[in-house]
Amino acid sequence: MRRALRHPSFLIGASLSAVIVFIALVSLVWTPHDPGQMRILSRLKPPDASFWLGTDQFGRDIASMLMVGARNALLVGLVAVGIGFTFGSVLGMLAARFEGSLLDDVVMRALDFVFAFPAVLTAILILTLFGPGLVNAVLAIGLFNIPVFARQARGATLQVMTRDFIRAARLAGCGTASILVRHVVPNILGLMIVQASTQFALAILAEAGLSYLGIGTQPPNPSWGRMLNDAQTFLARAPLLAIFPGMAIALSVLAFNLLGDGLRDIIDPRLKER
Amino acid sequence: MIFNPGLRVGMSAALVAGSLVMIACQPSRAQGKDSVTICQTLEPTILDPTAGAAAAIREVTHGNIFEGLVALDRTSKITPALAESWDVSADGLKYRFKLRKNAAFHDGTPVTSADVKFSFERALAPDSKNAQKWIFEPIGGMSTPTPDEINITLKTFAADFLDGLTWGDAVIFSEKSVAKAATDPVGTGPYKFVRWNRGDRLTLERNDLWWGGKAEIKAATFRFIADPQAQVSALLAGDCDANTNLGAQEAVPQLMSNPGLKVTVGRTEGETIVAMNNAKAPLNDIRVRKAIAMAIDRQLVNEGAVSGLGTPIGSHFSPNHPAYLDLTGAVRFEPARAKALLAEAGFPNGLTLSLRLPPPAYARRGGEIVAAMLKDIGITATIEPLEWPQWLERVFRTKDFDLTIVSHVEPMDLNIYARDNYYFGYTSAAFREAFKATKQARTEAERKAAFEVVQRQIAEDQVNVFLFMLPKVTVVKKGLSGMWENWPLPSNPIAQLTWQ
Repeated sequence: MRRALRHPSFLIGASLSAVIVFIALVSLVWTPHDPGQMRILSRLKPPDASFWLGTDQFGRDIASMLMVGARNALLVGLVAVGIGFTFGSVLGMLAARFEGSLLDDVVMRALDFVFAFPAVLTAILILTLFGPGLVNAVLAIGLFNIPVFARQARGATLQVMTRDFIRAARLAGCGTASILVRHVVPNILGLMIVQASTQFALAILAEAGLSYLGIGTQPPNPSWGRMLNDAQTFLARAPLLAIFPGMAIALSVLAFNLLGDGLRDIIDPRLKER
Repeated sequence: MIFNPGLRVGMSAALVAGSLVMIACQPSRAQGKDSVTICQTLEPTILDPTAGAAAAIREVTHGNIFEGLVALDRTSKITPALAESWDVSADGLKYRFKLRKNAAFHDGTPVTSADVKFSFERALAPDSKNAQKWIFEPIGGMSTPTPDEINITLKTFAADFLDGLTWGDAVIFSEKSVAKAATDPVGTGPYKFVRWNRGDRLTLERNDLWWGGKAEIKAATFRFIADPQAQVSALLAGDCDANTNLGAQEAVPQLMSNPGLKVTVGRTEGETIVAMNNAKAPLNDIRVRKAIAMAIDRQLVNEGAVSGLGTPIGSHFSPNHPAYLDLTGAVRFEPARAKALLAEAGFPNGLTLSLRLPPPAYARRGGEIVAAMLKDIGITATIEPLEWPQWLERVFRTKDFDLTIVSHVEPMDLNIYARDNYYFGYTSAAFREAFKATKQARTEAERKAAFEVVQRQIAEDQVNVFLFMLPKVTVVKKGLSGMWENWPLPSNPIAQLTWQ
């Protein structure tokens, strides 16, 4: 804990992340205005006392849209990383436990196959096939998180499996499930959480990218990526329109990356020393 | 590498001389420019205007590659094209067209009356894909006494027969080359097809043997840029000499202040509508359609979708036509009444409808606004953006939609409301009767009265929600003149362009 408080990137990352999470939570109960309400005659207004960050091309309140956008971004991150984390960790641990078996080969080669494709390009393919939308975007991003976590889990599990206490547990008659859950999971969890934090930032970025292309979150649901795309047409008239969602994306990616870096250093200081 | 100082001096001298020549050449090069790059939003799906409804096909081919017997000029006047003259009998049933003796297809075959007969019979054939069969339906018989004369007898009087022949759907083919018309078109126009790089551009070159003489522009390229902002960037970067109808209307002030460009805001014949699937529940209930119409404030949609450059309409009829009737007040923006009407129709708790949108900015932006307005009366419109081929397949052909937003760019296209199996599924015997009357009207006054009846009928039946006429924002480089500023028909005749 003391180490955490002295770690600058962890502190910055954690506090920025906390602010973003707080804003997203607040948006559940309160936003300055209804984010979907259009005031077409007062469109593209600069920031003022009522509309803190101005209005967009339909006269919607940008501050409110950014708040709800934060909620959507976090939701995408949570669900997509959740999918990757859960399936990836289980597959990775099983592959490690049965190292060298057919199961290991099949699982890891299948995941290599997924890993071989550029994530965003294949997400575009999936969304073109199954139709655009937030749910499909989350599933596509989640799918690409699986191999990342699986590789991490497999490597870490293999290391843990050679340790003496695993041998002791096995001698004591513990089964595979019990060894994995009771002894492996607690030992690799830290590493997986660090990975999750980094992947979280990437998932937010991927959702923004897909929405920017028009195949992620669909209107009227606000999304930072789509706000950025909409703003593009109005750059000459209202440059601020692009700056706010752009900053939101950049800041949250930065926040979760710093958080991940900080966590890694704290959980495993040896990595830093290297 | 061995460096030769002499070579270096020589190279520098050549470079300096070269740049001097380039500087000296610049103004004269603009003067002598004989090519043009025209940018437009949509790419044609095929190049045969008689086999597809998309306006993009006509914007590229009509008046350039293909020609009809007659043409519309930029002021909506009917002018001779392949027919140098024509006369009509007193009863309006017999047309005699005199063809130009020096008209020929790009492959060298002369244009004869047999080609006209072949083209019209092809359009009328049961397996024809012609999107405007009504043009040819009145034809009772055709005779070709000489190669340059064709007589057409109508079964029934049709006041709009000659109007129809100006459309891209009535262009003339040669039997020899028609099979390849979709991808390798051979026409009679001032430009020959050269190459089509799908997804990017289409190249034409001047037909030096055109009956109208040599056009000034030797080579023309159509570039397809779907993204509105990319269109603006391409204009600013000088990649486009002209944009036929700018997608980013909000950029008009910015482009107007650019000294190198000239911007005009004109009109198209594009009635922009929220089309409703009249054949399918719940939109087969007029109360639901009326409620939707009452929930939409068309002036605001106009503002938000096309920066207020469109002209609001209350029926499917162009304000440019003398018989136009202003019905914008027929249904007012009354969300409270709309809600009540929806409850009366059995949806007190609202309903969910699909809103499938084609790519143009007017549709995508208009769709977001319409969805927000419908939400206020309890209708959830689920937006789904589609590419044009998907839209044509899912909405236009298989009618798998509730709502869509689209602009009907053909002039005088009221006949779509009288068609069987048209995508919005309107079938009204009363309308069909009234529409027939417009065709049979003999005098201008009769025709005007008949048109007023049909305009009222579709407004009363609330077939669709009529939003506004799509503006045509034409941007050209200073020095290029002759671009159509209005679109009486979707067409960009390159032979009329000149560089100063």
